[in-house]
Amino acid sequence: MNNDEFYIGWMEKAPAGFAKYIKKMLLILVVVVAITGLLLALSQKPFATGNFEFGKLTEIRGVYFGEPIPLLKAVNGKDIFGNTSFITIPLIGFGKSGVADVIAGIEKQKNIALNRKEVTMQGTLLYNDGKLLMQIDSKDSIFLKIGADAGNILSPVITDLGEQVIHGEIVDPKCFFGVMKPGEGKPHKDCAIRCILGGIPPVLKVKDEKGNENYYLVVGENGEKMNEAVKNFIAEPVTVHAKVVKYDDWIVLYIKKKGITQFSYLREHFGGAIASCEPARMK
Amino acid sequence: MSASYEAVGWNRQKKFYDWLIAGFCILYLAVFIGFTAIYNPQCTFETMLIRSAGTLAILLLHIILAIGPLARINKKFLPLLYNRRHLGVTMFTIALVHGGFAILQFHTLGNVNPFVSLFTSNTQYNSIAQFPFQALGFFALLIFLLMAATSHDFWLHNLSPKIWKALHMFVYLAYLLIILHVMLGVVQYETNPVFVIIIAVGATTVILLHLAAGIKEVKKDSQLFDRTDQGFSYVCNVFEIEESRAKIFCIGVERIAIYRCEGRLYAVHNVCKHQGGPLGEGKILDGCITCPWHGYQYLPGNGQSPPPFKEKVSTYDVRIKDEKVWLNPTPYPEGTERPGAMI
Repeated sequence: MNNDEFYIGWMEKAPAGFAKYIKKMLLILVVVVAITGLLLALSQKPFATGNFEFGKLTEIRGVYFGEPIPLLKAVNGKDIFGNTSFITIPLIGFGKSGVADVIAGIEKQKNIALNRKEVTMQGTLLYNDGKLLMQIDSKDSIFLKIGADAGNILSPVITDLGEQVIHGEIVDPKCFFGVMKPGEGKPHKDCAIRCILGGIPPVLKVKDEKGNENYYLVVGENGEKMNEAVKNFIAEPVTVHAKVVKYDDWIVLYIKKKGITQFSYLREHFGGAIASCEPARMK
Repeated sequence: MSASYEAVGWNRQKKFYDWLIAGFCILYLAVFIGFTAIYNPQCTFETMLIRSAGTLAILLLHIILAIGPLARINKKFLPLLYNRRHLGVTMFTIALVHGGFAILQFHTLGNVNPFVSLFTSNTQYNSIAQFPFQALGFFALLIFLLMAATSHDFWLHNLSPKIWKALHMFVYLAYLLIILHVMLGVVQYETNPVFVIIIAVGATTVILLHLAAGIKEVKKDSQLFDRTDQGFSYVCNVFEIEESRAKIFCIGVERIAIYRCEGRLYAVHNVCKHQGGPLGEGKILDGCITCPWHGYQYLPGNGQSPPPFKEKVSTYDVRIKDEKVWLNPTPYPEGTERPGAMI
């Protein structure tokens, strides 16, 4: 650079020495920007494979159950032995809300108790990893048909798996199974809290030793909602002490009083008070 | 330099600068979005938008913070300093896309107002691992908003350069908040160390550049002027100052620039009234001292900007005795005519 060169932005052209130097720097910057974009793009965790059929309504016929959470039990083809198989579809509300108010409103309006009724419902499906959920929106006609009481025809097959201690992460199933990617972990924590406080039933996501994930619905010791109680445990490693009950293709955790704590490596490995996690046993 | 306010005082270099900003942003977005879509076909539009905007804003913030010290270390970087404000406003706009969409995605359609949700969903402010990192990003965005909104020279003049500069120094607080926002947020989710490495490299570069620039300034300022005579200090030999250029001397706490112009020496306060640029690193153009940062001009004899401009800087007495330059560090009121010293 000629020492007499002087740069001022409002001049028509930058002096040759400045222009040449800046061009070199800009070329370096092009490489830095491209490499940074590439590295960040390739370093992200793989996105979940969940789906949310946004804008698409699907009709499903089945039996509505209000317990342990609002759900629809529907026929799901036949199993390998040719027997009719069923799928349990937890119901969730629009946005960050549960369905309790929507269902209560319909029951009041129609003066009917929907529990165990044969129904045809429509909503938006979301699904991942073998689990199917349905979002229902009060703006749509949710119940296309409300039939007779199903009695015990489709009553869930309930198996008591005893009391267990399990480690996992509490997620909101709506985001986790399809609406958001990621629908778990720290970046999603606030949203998960808002969803669960809005009434969406909490789910414990548990990873076994082989890396397979299992999902358990979380309710209180007597089947009451745990939404408020789990607020400070969402999206972080937790240990739960619960009575475990299998309802068809879902497992429900009846969390003991004070049965949920933040996971502590030291307590787990040196405390001796809590048994190790064996989620595989719960299948 | 302008006597009246316009939204943007466009000139060729500003346009060129803005096209470059747009080009770099498009390049980054194309690379990030393209490779994410190829290697993660399950990605969603919302997450892509939040992540691409967030990472681009942080990259731009690092470039913005690096330009200042780079220009102090090497004058050849001055073209990057000019119009840096447009880079800042661009960074804020992109950060706003990131923050706005994150609030929309994570906090709307709930049972409370989204802004209430932002601060009350996760309340584990006493935990490092579970700290509500989104609040940190929100406050950083507020600072960027304040800076972008006051970036125009209208605010610089009305707030006064001192207050304006102090306000814009909050960028360092915002930078700290952003680093914490990343470290307590996405870094706790992602398992690849690349995220931490990139942030560490970025922060280290910014810190080292500021240290290097600071050390250079301190070295300049630490020169002792202990030969005094009737309030004047001996500063240098007359031939050490080139024609149309200046040397800067720090006597006490003030930096003073001694310019050589058409056979005379003139001393003026070194700090430009526009954004505090170093007048002594400028040059005499069209008979005026011209600031290297944005080209603001002052007459060497009285420190006044030529009409219709109204900026003024302090002037000082300077003497030459036996080819030695003596400077009196007592300032005259801004804009005071001084005869200078004939060489």
